[in-house]
Amino acid sequence: MKMEEMALSSLDNSKMEGIAQDILSELVEDACLGLCFEVHRAVKQGYFFLDETDQESMKEYEIVDQPGVDIFGQVYNQWKNKECVCPNCSRSIAASRFAPHLEKCLGMGRNSSRIASRRIASGNNTNKSESDQEDNDDVNDNDWSYGAEKKAKKRKTDKNSNSPRRSKSLKHKNEIKGLILNSRKHNDA
Amino acid sequence: MSKEAQMRAAINQKLIEMGERERLKELLRAKLVECGWRDQLKAHCKDVIREKGLEHVTVEDLVTEITPKGRALVPDSVKKELLQRIRAFLAQHSAL
Repeated sequence: MKMEEMALSSLDNSKMEGIAQDILSELVEDACLGLCFEVHRAVKQGYFFLDETDQESMKEYEIVDQPGVDIFGQVYNQWKNKECVCPNCSRSIAASRFAPHLEKCLGMGRNSSRIASRRIASGNNTNKSESDQEDNDDVNDNDWSYGAEKKAKKRKTDKNSNSPRRSKSLKHKNEIKGLILNSRKHNDA
Repeated sequence: MSKEAQMRAAINQKLIEMGERERLKELLRAKLVECGWRDQLKAHCKDVIREKGLEHVTVEDLVTEITPKGRALVPDSVKKELLQRIRAFLAQHSAL
């Protein structure tokens, strides 16, 4: 160690300065390389020239600030008062109530099984809704059931003997998919 | 290795170990962005890319074109400040 200390004292400041300059040089080069890599990646991934949209496109997508219309210029409560026909029960339902209605009607939502089992437990016969096996009753829902009735959870006592129902619900799930995605209706053999 | 080379190696190691190199890097980067160096250089990049063609530009192309210009464009004030910090570090820590 002593030798190094001696060496240090005999090094002039210019040597230290040289070292300092070299360190600075390295740092600057690192910065340059960093930029090169960033730019190269941007070029290859295609987002380098993204800030150079032409004037026309800029005009097209400008933010709209008019009353009654959202920032894209679309009227946003256009569909509030339209009515849809339910494919299951052929009733005319308001658009905003359509989704929850479909859930109950096709027996597919989280609540419909509760409602159905309640109805069965209380001895009522219903042919409108069919229950299916949903196990995650406890999960908190921010669902679309407006005025969700707070019902006591009914445990189905005859859950196990209902294995035929499971395949039925699968069939309905596929039907829903067909309706919503506009694909071919799935027919079970 | 000469004594000087040993010294340099030891200093570099200390810089890294103590995290000072990283801090210096960050400081430099911040300063360069602040003074517009980065934007200048990026504009130069755009020219290079347009020249070489978007599809064909390589990292080597960019490095060869950009690095010398980058080095030259660093403002003196930034260099001074960084050097000050480096010298301070050296003064404190070069007694190994």
